[in-house]
Amino acid sequence: MRRSYVVLVSLVSIVFVLAYVTTYMNALGSICSDTRYLAKLFLALTYNPDTNSSLKYFAAMSPEAVTAIVWDYRGIDTFYETTVFFMAIIAALTIYRGVTSPASTTQGNGLSLIVKVVTKLLIPMNIAVAVSIAVHGHLTPGGGFQAGAALAVVSVLLAVVFSGSSFDKLNISISKAVALRSTGLLGIAAVTFIPLVYNLVTGVQAYLMQSYVKADAPFAFPTHIWGQLISGTLIWLNVAEFLAVSFGFFVVFMLLSLREETVRKYLGVGDGH
Amino acid sequence: MDTSFLDRFLVIFALYNLLATIGVSIYGIVVRPHITKKIISLTLLGDALNMLTIFLGFKPFSIPPVLLKTDVGSEEIMKLATSAVDPLPQALVLTAVVIGLAVNLFLIFLALQVFRLYGTLDSRKIKELRG
Repeated sequence: MRRSYVVLVSLVSIVFVLAYVTTYMNALGSICSDTRYLAKLFLALTYNPDTNSSLKYFAAMSPEAVTAIVWDYRGIDTFYETTVFFMAIIAALTIYRGVTSPASTTQGNGLSLIVKVVTKLLIPMNIAVAVSIAVHGHLTPGGGFQAGAALAVVSVLLAVVFSGSSFDKLNISISKAVALRSTGLLGIAAVTFIPLVYNLVTGVQAYLMQSYVKADAPFAFPTHIWGQLISGTLIWLNVAEFLAVSFGFFVVFMLLSLREETVRKYLGVGDGH
Repeated sequence: MDTSFLDRFLVIFALYNLLATIGVSIYGIVVRPHITKKIISLTLLGDALNMLTIFLGFKPFSIPPVLLKTDVGSEEIMKLATSAVDPLPQALVLTAVVIGLAVNLFLIFLALQVFRLYGTLDSRKIKELRG
C-alpha cells in the first residue's frame, strides 16, 4: 500500500517538474513565437531554381523542406534510422528462425463475402496511394517511410480478411519479401556510394550521399528528367526506402499471421504449460 | 507574433495534456506487471514524445513547410521562410514513427515468444521461473 503512494507521488512530481520547466524556464524554447533561425535557413535554402545564385550550393532542390532534411541535410541520420529498422526486422526474423515457409496446411476461410469484395476493391487503391506517396515524396508531404507504412496495411488486410493462406495463393513468400526489402536497402546503399565511385573514376571531388552541387564538389545527380523535377537523389532514396519499409513490414505481418500450431511445431515448443 | 490569451491557454493546455500522458505511460511501463500493458504504455510514451517534438516547431497561423509551385522567385521563398512551421522536428518525427512501429513489432514478437515458452506474460511470474 505504501509503495503505491510512493509511485503516485513520484509520478505526479515528475509531471509537475516537467510542467514547471516547460512553462516558466522556457525549456522547449520558442513555442508560440517566431521560428528558429535554423528553420528559416532550411526553409529559405531548400529549393533554389536560380542556378546563377551562390545559394545553390546550399540547396537540396526539393520544394518540400521535410524531405530535403530527411534525405539531404540530415541524410546520414536517416541512414542510421534505416539501420535501426533493419535490425528490428532482423531480430524478429531471428526469433522465427527455422520457420522457413508459411506452410499453411489447412485452408483458411477468412471473413464474409461482403468484406472480401470491399477489400478487393480497396487493395488496388491502397497500393496506388502508397506508390503515389513514395514517388511524390520530394514534392508533397510524405515519402518513403509513409508510403511503406501505407503499403504495409495491404499485408494486414490480406492476413485478416483473406486469412494467412492468401499469401500462398498470391505467391508471396517470406523469402521473396526479404529479397525485395534487401533490394530497397541495396538501392539506398547504391545511391549513397555513387558519388564515391564517381570520385574514384573521374577524380572530381564528391561527398557521400551528395545530391546537388556544393561549392567545392561539382558532382550532382540530375534534378530533372524529361522536364519533371526529381530533386536529385531524393526520389531514388524515397523509392528505395519505400521498398525496404513496406516489405520489411510485409515480412513481419506474414510471420505474425502464421498459424500458432505451425510455429510451435517449428520452434519445438509444446502446447503450453 | 502576437498571440491572444486564448491561443496561449490552448497551447499550454495541450502541452500539459501531453505531459500528463507521459506521466501515465511511465506509470504503465514501470509499475504494471503485465508485458502487454508495458508495450501499450511504451507506444503511448513514444507517441506523446513525438507529439512533444512536433510541438517544438509549432507556430500559430503558419503554413506547412512546402512550396506549392516549382517556378518560384526569391520573394515567394522568403515568404515561406517567414511564415512556415519549423520542418526539422517534423523530419525527425517522420522517421521515428516508422522506426517506433518496427521496434514495437519486435517487442510484440518477443512477448509472443515469452508466452510460448513460459505460458504467461506476468513479469512477476516470469521472474520466479528458472530456465
